[in-house]
Amino acid sequence: MKKERSKKYRGLQLLRILSQTIFFGLFVYLLFGTRFTGEDTIGRVEIFFHFDPLLAAATALASRTFFTAFALAGITVLVTVVAGRYVCGWICPFGAVHQFFSFVFKKARLLRPRQEKEGKKEKRDGRRLAWKYYLLVFVLVGSLFTVDLVGIADPLSLLYRSFVTGVVPWLASVFSVFTGFSYGVGLASVGDRFAQFLGTLALNQTFQQGFFLSLLFIGLVLLNMTRERFWCRYLCPLGAFLGLLARWNIAKVRIDEKKCIECHLCTLHCQTQANPYPNEEWRSHECVYCYTCAAICPTDAVSFPAATRPEKFEVVDFSRRKLILTSALAAVAAPFFKITPARKRAADRLIRPPGALPEPQFLQKCVKCGECMKVCPTNALQPALGEAGPEGIWTPVLVPRIGYCEYYCSHCTQVCPTGAIKELSIEEKIKVVIGTAWVKKDRCIPYVLGSPCIVCEEHCPTSPKAIKLVKTEVKLPDGTVQTPLAPIIDLDLCIGCGICETKCPVVDDPAIYVTSIGETRSEKNRLLLEILKPPAPPDELNQ
Amino acid sequence: MKRREFLKDIAAGSFLLGLKPSLLAQEGSPPPLAQVDGDSPAAITREAIASLGGMKTFVARGDRVMIKPNIGWDRTPELAACTNPEVVKTLVELCFDAGAKEVTVMDHTINQAQRCYARSGIAEAAKAAGAKTPYVNPFRLKKMALGGQWLKEWEVYTDFVEADKLINVPIAKHHSLSRLTMGMKNWLGSIGGSRNQLHQRIDEAMVDLAAFFKPELTVLDAYRILVRNGPQGGRLSDVKLQKTVVAGKDSVAVDSLGATFFGISPQELPYLEMARKRGLGENNLEKIRVEKRTV
Repeated sequence: MKKERSKKYRGLQLLRILSQTIFFGLFVYLLFGTRFTGEDTIGRVEIFFHFDPLLAAATALASRTFFTAFALAGITVLVTVVAGRYVCGWICPFGAVHQFFSFVFKKARLLRPRQEKEGKKEKRDGRRLAWKYYLLVFVLVGSLFTVDLVGIADPLSLLYRSFVTGVVPWLASVFSVFTGFSYGVGLASVGDRFAQFLGTLALNQTFQQGFFLSLLFIGLVLLNMTRERFWCRYLCPLGAFLGLLARWNIAKVRIDEKKCIECHLCTLHCQTQANPYPNEEWRSHECVYCYTCAAICPTDAVSFPAATRPEKFEVVDFSRRKLILTSALAAVAAPFFKITPARKRAADRLIRPPGALPEPQFLQKCVKCGECMKVCPTNALQPALGEAGPEGIWTPVLVPRIGYCEYYCSHCTQVCPTGAIKELSIEEKIKVVIGTAWVKKDRCIPYVLGSPCIVCEEHCPTSPKAIKLVKTEVKLPDGTVQTPLAPIIDLDLCIGCGICETKCPVVDDPAIYVTSIGETRSEKNRLLLEILKPPAPPDELNQ
Repeated sequence: MKRREFLKDIAAGSFLLGLKPSLLAQEGSPPPLAQVDGDSPAAITREAIASLGGMKTFVARGDRVMIKPNIGWDRTPELAACTNPEVVKTLVELCFDAGAKEVTVMDHTINQAQRCYARSGIAEAAKAAGAKTPYVNPFRLKKMALGGQWLKEWEVYTDFVEADKLINVPIAKHHSLSRLTMGMKNWLGSIGGSRNQLHQRIDEAMVDLAAFFKPELTVLDAYRILVRNGPQGGRLSDVKLQKTVVAGKDSVAVDSLGATFFGISPQELPYLEMARKRGLGENNLEKIRVEKRTV
């Protein structure tokens, strides 16, 4: 018997690694390109998401509308139906991350590939593969009941969110250390270059829950120490979605039984437990076409012939009983997400980005990916924890103590992959009200110290300004009376951008703050009725 | 009525100056202050520097020059919140013509730096003329002894201190606290720290900063001036087309003349008087010889 590994499949394996590198590179490139680059419009930096049929399906189910950009997901579906889960093995950037770390852990001997055991254990391993299908069913049934949980578990959302709130801030810190080090050792010109580069990249470094979200990501990566591509094997709902489509595809694994020496290397090193050996146990729905089995086979016995007639293979290994149970569980769980008071009345600090749909529709569409948080020039958009109720976890909320809504910026509305934030031009955006500012007279400098400040008024971007300075009598501790200029809000003009709160010199608990009332997107969260507003004075020069 | 009388005096004074400059000025020496009116921001800037004896009076061969415009806001030039890009560009060109080795244009912005640099048109214009336009670098922030009467020490971007020559290019704008923001107030863009806390004693802070930085030359861009809703405006109706630049070494004098464009007498601005008392310059326009030209 000839003992020789296949050069063809080794080549295809290298090509696959190249493809993964390129697509991961593209993902990172688009991530870093999600910033202000000198133009008011930004390209389709969110395009990865539009190829994701799980996001397309779940948001369509939850919102009962189809966002046309998701038509691209049809390509992924088509490729998978025709050829199998190539997208998982060759394109998915999250898959690349897991495969890379699986490789590293394997080389470091932290991960030892194990074979499925005979008998009971085998069944258990097979059952684990079904987790992701249950997760998929849970997410989709949840969406049907208008609880959009897909963003939590969708691999692209998860990866992007983890990068934005964890990896990117981490990188920025590392860059900063290098920059500081350069100055420290007297290489000021290198330091200057680093600093300018950092300035150009405009990386947001402050995220509430950033630490927690990073831990979650690191945990998922570390799981690769127990099984190769743990996430892809057991957890990924998108993989499960594509797995369901990958039954009639033309690319089949076939082992030439004449050449096979039954060494089990192919199955042992299979990255997703697709069991290439023996032929009739191959799981078409698990295979991601990484070609590891074909490349590792010492006798070149494994091949991927095109076959229209399905070879005999295992079908998805989940029990109908459990499937029904999961669906029922999702249906039962969905209403629990809506117990929150966030549904009853608007939350004061739930300031959504401009262009955000009314809250119920917003929650149905937002997939918590973090695109808006990445592009926000002031780091103002933060992942919510409890502000929007349990289903609103990690949805964007504007936190003026961290940053404010930049007046001439509508980037977040342009990068939202699902239309949860409606795309706005600058002209449209500056008319959108996201909240209203209020002065805390018991903390405001002029009201308390009797001395001037005006910082909020100076920064107010509207013209005429929504913060007016009015001479106000103030009693001082010594009993004297001062009349400093003190801020008063003109509720008709305030757009709730929050720059006043961000810049207020009373840093710990700003003396001026924004709450969500008055937001354009809500019909109820209003203070001023349209009919009571005086007609806007004509601005001749602007016409 | 005081203001009107004052303006009359100005008018009379400038008439006299215009009539018999030789009587008041020393023959041949350039005037301390130049005011040039005209339709082109570049041309009036060029003429103003020429009136002062040319850029060679201020910049020597091989100098590393720092030009400090106001790039504070994410606003287009038409809205007059930032210095006119043409004025900045012309100054960069003049510096290079005078033999400068390196010209840097920089400001500590209030809105996101990338936006302000781009929308103001200043970065593009300055780069076209060969200047560097870096963003402020937090690693170059250093706490320095300012030696001020009120501000003893503060964090300063060392780029502004280390340059051989410093040129201040503010724009003239309304400001609700200091009434007007021009040359002296512009130095708040060279420092870091909690700038917004200086507002509690803004006049003292402005004088201390102006005393610390001491620019070689101040060129006040009054091509478009912001007459209300300062310091960032937002509507064209907040802007008045003044079509002027004022240039001079004495930044107090430049600001004093700039105040008149808003119908405000220099004596109404306490920081100018404080600056005069500190010996930083002259705020009495009757004592300042102004060369006025139109191009």
